[in-house]
Amino acid sequence: MARRHARSVRPQRRKERAHALPGERGDAFRCVGCRLDVPMAAPGTAHRNHCPHCLSSLHVDRRVPGDRASGCRGRMAALGLSVRQNGEWLLIHHCLTCGELSANRIAGDDNALALLRIAVRPLSDSRVPVRAMLTL
Amino acid sequence: MSTLRTNTFTCVRCGLTVTLSGPDGARRNHCPSCLHSQHVTDHVEGGPSDCLSRMTPIAIAVLRTSDWMVIHRCTRCDELTSNPVSPDDNHLILMRMAVRPLAQPPFPLEVFGEV
Repeated sequence: MARRHARSVRPQRRKERAHALPGERGDAFRCVGCRLDVPMAAPGTAHRNHCPHCLSSLHVDRRVPGDRASGCRGRMAALGLSVRQNGEWLLIHHCLTCGELSANRIAGDDNALALLRIAVRPLSDSRVPVRAMLTL
Repeated sequence: MSTLRTNTFTCVRCGLTVTLSGPDGARRNHCPSCLHSQHVTDHVEGGPSDCLSRMTPIAIAVLRTSDWMVIHRCTRCDELTSNPVSPDDNHLILMRMAVRPLAQPPFPLEVFGEV
Protein backbone atom coordinates (compact mmCIF):
# COMPACT_ATOMS: atom_id res chain seq x y z
CA MET A 1 0.00 0.00 0.00
CA ALA A 2 1.83 3.07 -1.18
CA ARG A 3 1.56 6.33 0.69
CA ARG A 4 -0.01 8.92 -1.52
CA HIS A 5 1.38 11.85 0.43
CA ALA A 6 4.99 10.83 0.35
CA ARG A 7 6.20 14.35 -0.38
CA SER A 8 5.19 15.62 3.04
CA VAL A 9 6.75 12.93 5.19
CA ARG A 10 6.83 13.95 8.80
CA PRO A 11 9.88 12.79 10.72
CA GLN A 12 9.21 10.57 13.70
CA ARG A 13 9.74 11.92 17.15
CA ARG A 14 12.76 10.39 18.87
CA LYS A 15 11.70 7.92 21.50
CA GLU A 16 13.44 5.56 23.82
CA ARG A 17 13.08 2.07 22.44
CA ALA A 18 11.39 0.24 25.26
CA HIS A 19 9.54 -2.37 23.30
CA ALA A 20 10.35 -5.34 25.45
CA LEU A 21 8.02 -5.77 28.37
CA PRO A 22 9.47 -7.91 31.18
CA GLY A 23 9.62 -11.53 30.03
CA GLU A 24 9.41 -10.75 26.32
CA ARG A 25 12.00 -10.71 23.57
CA GLY A 26 10.84 -7.40 22.17
CA ASP A 27 10.73 -8.14 18.46
CA ALA A 28 7.07 -9.15 18.39
CA PHE A 29 3.92 -8.89 20.46
CA ARG A 30 0.67 -10.77 20.62
CA CYS A 31 -2.44 -8.71 19.99
CA VAL A 32 -4.78 -8.56 22.95
CA GLY A 33 -7.79 -8.30 20.66
CA CYS A 34 -7.35 -11.06 18.09
CA ARG A 35 -4.26 -12.93 19.46
CA LEU A 36 -2.34 -12.36 16.25
CA ASP A 37 1.44 -12.53 16.58
CA VAL A 38 2.66 -9.19 15.26
CA PRO A 39 6.30 -8.48 14.42
CA MET A 40 7.60 -5.09 15.55
CA ALA A 41 9.03 -4.20 12.14
CA ALA A 42 6.33 -2.43 10.17
CA PRO A 43 6.35 -0.60 6.85
CA GLY A 44 5.73 3.09 7.24
CA THR A 45 6.39 3.40 10.95
CA ALA A 46 9.26 2.72 13.30
CA HIS A 47 6.99 2.35 16.30
CA ARG A 48 4.26 -0.16 15.78
CA ASN A 49 1.76 0.21 18.58
CA HIS A 50 -1.37 -1.47 17.32
CA CYS A 51 -2.35 -4.72 15.67
CA PRO A 52 -2.47 -4.40 11.86
CA HIS A 53 -5.39 -6.81 11.68
CA CYS A 54 -7.89 -5.66 14.31
CA LEU A 55 -6.24 -2.27 15.15
CA SER A 56 -6.34 -2.94 18.91
CA SER A 57 -3.59 -1.63 21.10
CA LEU A 58 -2.44 -2.06 24.68
CA HIS A 59 -2.36 0.73 27.25
CA VAL A 60 1.30 0.74 28.29
CA ASP A 61 2.40 4.36 27.88
CA ARG A 62 1.44 7.13 30.20
CA ARG A 63 2.05 10.66 29.00
CA VAL A 64 5.03 10.33 26.71
CA PRO A 65 4.92 7.77 23.85
CA GLY A 66 7.28 4.91 24.64
CA ASP A 67 7.65 5.60 28.35
CA ARG A 68 5.91 2.31 29.33
CA ALA A 69 4.92 3.99 32.60
CA SER A 70 1.26 3.12 32.72
CA GLY A 71 0.17 0.39 35.08
CA CYS A 72 -3.16 -0.01 33.32
CA ARG A 73 -2.33 -2.64 30.64
CA GLY A 74 -5.89 -2.36 29.40
CA ARG A 75 -6.99 -3.10 25.88
CA MET A 76 -7.29 -0.04 23.66
CA ALA A 77 -9.85 -0.19 20.89
CA ALA A 78 -9.85 2.04 17.81
CA LEU A 79 -12.43 4.75 18.34
CA GLY A 80 -12.08 7.20 15.50
CA LEU A 81 -9.89 8.62 12.79
CA SER A 82 -8.26 12.00 12.60
CA VAL A 83 -6.36 13.56 9.71
CA ARG A 84 -3.24 15.67 9.99
CA GLN A 85 -2.66 18.74 7.87
CA ASN A 86 -0.54 16.71 5.45
CA GLY A 87 -3.30 14.15 4.95
CA GLU A 88 -1.87 11.47 7.20
CA TRP A 89 -4.39 9.40 9.11
CA LEU A 90 -4.23 9.03 12.87
CA LEU A 91 -6.09 6.36 14.77
CA ILE A 92 -7.68 7.49 18.02
CA HIS A 93 -7.45 4.67 20.55
CA HIS A 94 -9.62 4.49 23.61
CA CYS A 95 -8.63 2.39 26.63
CA LEU A 96 -11.49 0.07 27.56
CA THR A 97 -10.26 -0.17 31.14
CA CYS A 98 -9.55 3.41 32.17
CA GLY A 99 -10.93 5.53 29.31
CA GLU A 100 -7.64 7.13 28.34
CA LEU A 101 -7.28 8.32 24.74
CA SER A 102 -4.24 8.25 22.47
CA ALA A 103 -3.56 9.14 18.86
CA ASN A 104 -1.35 6.88 16.76
CA ARG A 105 -0.21 7.01 13.15
CA ILE A 106 -1.49 4.23 10.95
CA ALA A 107 1.06 1.81 9.55
CA GLY A 108 1.49 0.77 5.94
CA ASP A 109 0.14 -2.74 6.51
CA ASP A 110 -2.89 -1.82 8.61
CA ASN A 111 -6.12 -3.52 7.64
CA ALA A 112 -7.63 -1.15 5.09
CA LEU A 113 -11.12 -2.55 5.51
CA ALA A 114 -11.04 -2.03 9.26
CA LEU A 115 -9.72 1.50 8.79
CA LEU A 116 -12.44 2.31 6.30
CA ARG A 117 -15.15 0.94 8.58
CA ILE A 118 -14.04 3.40 11.25
CA ALA A 119 -13.86 6.21 8.70
CA VAL A 120 -17.43 5.74 7.44
CA ARG A 121 -18.94 5.06 10.87
CA PRO A 122 -20.04 8.69 11.46
CA LEU A 123 -21.76 8.73 8.08
CA SER A 124 -23.42 5.35 8.35
CA ASP A 125 -26.10 6.14 10.89
CA SER A 126 -29.40 7.20 9.39
CA ARG A 127 -30.07 10.36 11.34
CA VAL A 128 -31.61 13.19 9.39
CA PRO A 129 -28.95 15.90 9.84
CA VAL A 130 -26.33 13.73 8.17
CA ARG A 131 -28.45 13.40 5.03
CA ALA A 132 -29.24 17.09 5.05
CA MET A 133 -25.59 18.05 5.28
CA LEU A 134 -24.56 15.64 2.54
CA THR A 135 -26.86 17.40 0.12
CA LEU A 136 -24.97 20.66 0.61
CA MET B 1 -12.81 31.14 32.63
CA SER B 2 -15.04 33.23 34.85
CA THR B 3 -17.92 30.86 35.00
CA LEU B 4 -19.00 31.07 38.61
CA ARG B 5 -21.16 34.15 38.60
CA THR B 6 -22.60 34.28 35.12
CA ASN B 7 -22.99 30.65 34.04
CA THR B 8 -21.31 31.55 30.78
CA PHE B 9 -17.82 31.26 29.38
CA THR B 10 -16.00 33.02 26.59
CA CYS B 11 -14.61 30.88 23.80
CA VAL B 12 -10.81 31.09 23.76
CA ARG B 13 -10.75 31.01 19.97
CA CYS B 14 -13.69 32.95 18.58
CA GLY B 15 -14.65 34.95 21.66
CA LEU B 16 -18.28 33.88 21.62
CA THR B 17 -20.04 34.07 24.98
CA VAL B 18 -21.51 30.62 25.56
CA THR B 19 -23.94 29.47 28.23
CA LEU B 20 -22.65 26.60 30.31
CA SER B 21 -25.70 24.41 29.85
CA GLY B 22 -26.70 23.29 26.39
CA PRO B 23 -30.24 23.12 24.99
CA ASP B 24 -30.65 19.58 26.32
CA GLY B 25 -29.57 20.63 29.81
CA ALA B 26 -26.18 18.94 29.58
CA ARG B 27 -23.15 20.91 30.69
CA ARG B 28 -21.09 21.88 27.68
CA ASN B 29 -17.37 22.23 27.47
CA HIS B 30 -16.76 23.46 23.94
CA CYS B 31 -17.89 26.40 21.88
CA PRO B 32 -20.89 25.47 19.70
CA SER B 33 -19.71 27.78 16.94
CA CYS B 34 -16.09 26.80 16.39
CA LEU B 35 -16.07 23.64 18.58
CA HIS B 36 -12.85 24.68 20.30
CA SER B 37 -12.40 23.94 23.98
CA GLN B 38 -10.02 24.82 26.79
CA HIS B 39 -7.73 22.45 28.63
CA VAL B 40 -8.94 22.73 32.21
CA THR B 41 -8.87 19.14 33.54
CA ASP B 42 -5.86 16.84 33.60
CA HIS B 43 -6.99 13.43 32.43
CA VAL B 44 -3.81 11.54 33.15
CA GLU B 45 -3.32 12.68 36.74
CA GLY B 46 -6.90 13.70 37.42
CA GLY B 47 -8.00 17.02 38.88
CA PRO B 48 -7.61 20.49 37.39
CA SER B 49 -4.92 21.22 34.84
CA ASP B 50 -2.73 24.32 34.84
CA CYS B 51 -2.31 24.22 31.07
CA LEU B 52 -5.41 26.29 30.15
CA SER B 53 -4.53 26.21 26.48
CA ARG B 54 -6.86 25.99 23.54
CA MET B 55 -8.02 22.55 22.45
CA THR B 56 -8.82 22.02 18.78
CA PRO B 57 -11.34 19.44 17.56
CA ILE B 58 -9.50 16.77 15.57
CA ALA B 59 -11.87 13.84 15.14
CA ILE B 60 -15.37 12.46 15.41
CA ALA B 61 -15.96 9.21 17.24
CA VAL B 62 -19.19 7.25 17.22
CA LEU B 63 -20.25 5.34 20.30
CA ARG B 64 -22.22 2.10 20.21
CA THR B 65 -25.29 4.15 21.01
CA SER B 66 -24.61 6.03 17.72
CA ASP B 67 -23.96 9.22 19.66
CA TRP B 68 -21.21 11.40 18.28
CA MET B 69 -18.25 12.47 20.38
CA VAL B 70 -15.76 15.21 19.52
CA ILE B 71 -12.12 14.38 20.16
CA HIS B 72 -10.17 17.45 21.25
CA ARG B 73 -6.41 17.82 21.28
CA CYS B 74 -4.63 20.45 23.35
CA THR B 75 -2.50 22.71 21.16
CA ARG B 76 0.14 23.05 23.85
CA CYS B 77 0.54 19.68 25.56
CA ASP B 78 -1.18 17.33 23.07
CA GLU B 79 -3.56 15.87 25.61
CA LEU B 80 -6.69 14.26 24.16
CA THR B 81 -10.24 14.45 25.49
CA SER B 82 -13.55 13.26 24.16
CA ASN B 83 -16.77 15.15 24.71
CA PRO B 84 -20.35 14.50 23.65
CA VAL B 85 -21.79 16.57 20.84
CA SER B 86 -24.38 19.15 21.80
CA PRO B 87 -27.49 19.55 19.59
CA ASP B 88 -26.63 23.13 18.68
CA ASP B 89 -23.02 22.44 17.71
CA ASN B 90 -21.93 23.69 14.33
CA HIS B 91 -22.96 20.87 12.01
CA LEU B 92 -20.83 22.14 9.16
CA ILE B 93 -17.64 21.71 11.19
CA LEU B 94 -18.82 18.37 12.55
CA MET B 95 -19.55 17.09 9.08
CA ARG B 96 -16.26 18.41 7.74
CA MET B 97 -14.38 16.46 10.37
CA ALA B 98 -16.43 13.33 9.69
CA VAL B 99 -15.75 13.27 5.95
CA ARG B 100 -12.16 14.45 6.20
CA PRO B 101 -10.59 10.94 6.31
CA LEU B 102 -12.53 9.92 3.22
CA ALA B 103 -11.45 13.02 1.35
CA GLN B 104 -7.75 12.23 1.84
CA PRO B 105 -7.47 8.43 1.87
CA PRO B 106 -3.97 6.93 2.19
CA PHE B 107 -4.99 4.09 -0.11
CA PRO B 108 -7.25 4.03 -3.19
CA LEU B 109 -10.89 3.67 -2.26
CA GLU B 110 -11.92 2.23 -5.62
CA VAL B 111 -11.16 -1.33 -4.57
CA PHE B 112 -13.85 -1.08 -1.90
CA GLY B 113 -16.55 -0.50 -4.48
CA GLU B 114 -17.11 -4.23 -4.81
CA VAL B 115 -16.94 -5.04 -1.09
